[in-house]
Amino acid sequence: MMKAVLRHLLRNRRRSILTLLAVLIPVYFLVFMFGFTNGVVSDLFTTATRIDTGHFQVRHVEKRGMGSARPLLQDADVWAAAVHEMEGVEWTTTRLDLPALASSGDRSQTVYVQGVIPEEVAPISNIENLILDGRYIRSDDHGAVIGQELSQLLSISVGSDLVLLGAHPETGVGVLKIPVVGIYDAPLSEMGKGLIQVPLETARQLARSPRAATAIVARVEGVTGVGDLGKIEAITAQLAGQLPESLEVVDWRELAPQVKSYMSILGPALTSVGVVFFGLGSLVVLNTLYLAVKERTRELGLIISLGASRGRVIRMFLMEAGVLAVLGSVWGALVGAGLILGIEALGGVPIPGEYGAFARAIGMSTELHLAIRWPQLLLAAATMSLVAILAAWLPAYQASKLEPVEAMRYVE
Amino acid sequence: MSNNPLIQTMDLKKNYITEALETPALRGVSTELHAGEFTAVAGPSGSGKSTLLHLLGGLDRPTGGDILLEGRPMSKLSKDELAKLRLTNLGFVFQAYNLIPVLTVLENTAFVLELQGVVRRERIKRAKKVLAELGIDQYADQYPNRISGGQQQRVAVARAVVAEPSIVLADEPTANLDTAMSLDLIDLMKRLNREKGSTFFFSTHDSRLLDRVNRLITLVDGKVEQDESRDAS
Ligand SMILES: Nc1ncnc2c1ncn2[C@@H]1O[C@H](COP(=O)(O)OP(=O)(O)OP(=O)(O)O)[C@@H](O)[C@H]1O
Ligand SMILES: [Mg+2]
Repeated sequence: MMKAVLRHLLRNRRRSILTLLAVLIPVYFLVFMFGFTNGVVSDLFTTATRIDTGHFQVRHVEKRGMGSARPLLQDADVWAAAVHEMEGVEWTTTRLDLPALASSGDRSQTVYVQGVIPEEVAPISNIENLILDGRYIRSDDHGAVIGQELSQLLSISVGSDLVLLGAHPETGVGVLKIPVVGIYDAPLSEMGKGLIQVPLETARQLARSPRAATAIVARVEGVTGVGDLGKIEAITAQLAGQLPESLEVVDWRELAPQVKSYMSILGPALTSVGVVFFGLGSLVVLNTLYLAVKERTRELGLIISLGASRGRVIRMFLMEAGVLAVLGSVWGALVGAGLILGIEALGGVPIPGEYGAFARAIGMSTELHLAIRWPQLLLAAATMSLVAILAAWLPAYQASKLEPVEAMRYVE
Repeated sequence: MSNNPLIQTMDLKKNYITEALETPALRGVSTELHAGEFTAVAGPSGSGKSTLLHLLGGLDRPTGGDILLEGRPMSKLSKDELAKLRLTNLGFVFQAYNLIPVLTVLENTAFVLELQGVVRRERIKRAKKVLAELGIDQYADQYPNRISGGQQQRVAVARAVVAEPSIVLADEPTANLDTAMSLDLIDLMKRLNREKGSTFFFSTHDSRLLDRVNRLITLVDGKVEQDESRDAS
């Protein structure tokens, strides 16, 4: 029967090719969409975890009425060492962030002071590479790096003194006068206006808490994209069990909620695109098979007259559809995957415009990297094949119900 | 001739109903066909020959009466059972479009065996043997559109007898053939009847073929007008 099936397909070459394409194109398209969205999600994830959140943080649990200030976690260095020791943790650093008023002469501006360990902070901050004037901060001296925007607002430059007035709700007011050691070019003007980096010790003085921090930021080993989220989850779960009640683990989901919400709409979005494309593809299969049944009415009449069972007639058409469906789906998946691999071999898709510049500024690749996973390939190809074969049922069933005498009298 | 008929029709009636019109095609045909017979049914156009053959072949249902095949009433059979009966007990030769275009002569001949589930080697062997007996084995690997109408009808006969059915039903098998080819085809069928005992029942309105048959049933207006045994040449 397979021989006859293939000969029928070859006889109607044009129609077979059309059907093949009707199956191939949706699969190809969906695979490419998968590849693209994988790239976008990974990019969003990397951006978010790279820009300042890390993969997870250990913090003091939130307190009420603290405004934009974060609660202080005491003995931060002890906790930082403990997290750093954990299996699978690749990197940690300690941060103390607090809101402050920055002034020089009679000008002032509210800012957010980030106390960081300058030698460690590179994986979540790229400011060191954005210095326009002066140098980056160092652990062994007091000093601040400020954005270009802030330097203009306060009309100060490298070497000028900056007065910081910190007011942490837990420790009261602290004042500090430190020199500006560097000016950076911020990727976003909000950041340039409002974000100051100082060494951790300086921030601790401003907060008047020599052993405190607001967060221990960590990265997990071997996490290159959203495919590796399980690794983060495993560690945060383990850590959560070991922390005292006053401390909590916050993972990137809370730290970068936009990534999570994007990911949660992707599934339904891709599904609905898939439904539309697969629907159209199977309509074509349905239609071509109806044509085939009509065209072969006489032949079907003959076969049924000779005593072919209904099942046999149905099988014949399902096989015809099946060959095209499977061939087209696999082909489409391969073409889609090939395109993705090809684009990657050429270095990915350049991110255009401001977002590209932003990506460069935060130290990320300026290309979107497409990626496809085996299960996605399989899912796209298998679903299309299945839907196409299901669509073939209708005409196949209709063929099996033909009345032999009438079918044989049928004239095209 | 044995006493148990192969096929027995009992007051067989068929009315075609189209829109308001009701056409009585068969008005009560009662007859018997026996194993080993070589019978033709003749009659003017519209007399009901095709209708009778369709009913005997289980391709259509009568509106009255019944057919007993080897004693069993066909009216009791479901559609699927009728299909099975056609496959195992009956052979068919139609006026035209007998062959499946995408299959070769050999594959067409073996087709009913394939439907019956005979394994490939066996069905090829049997099909080849029949083609050789009918002298058309040189066309075995040709597709139907590459051979003449006369050859196509011979292949159809080969296909009809390959599974050794109880009876071969043929509706005007020579209608599209010229006289020489028609006589050839009938002689071929007659040879199978003589040498292998195959039972044939065919319709024709070509009087030149009628001196080849053992028995001639003449239909007029859906009724048997004459039923005569003949000395076949
Ligand atoms: N499907 C049908 N619907 C309606 N009427 C039909 C149908 N088939 C046959 N008839 C009518 O039934 C009658 C008998 O037709 P049938 O085809 O059996 O005759 P026939 O002897 O085979 O004629 P011919 O020699 O032309 O083939 C005719 O009047 C014909 O018009
Ligand atoms: Mg007729």
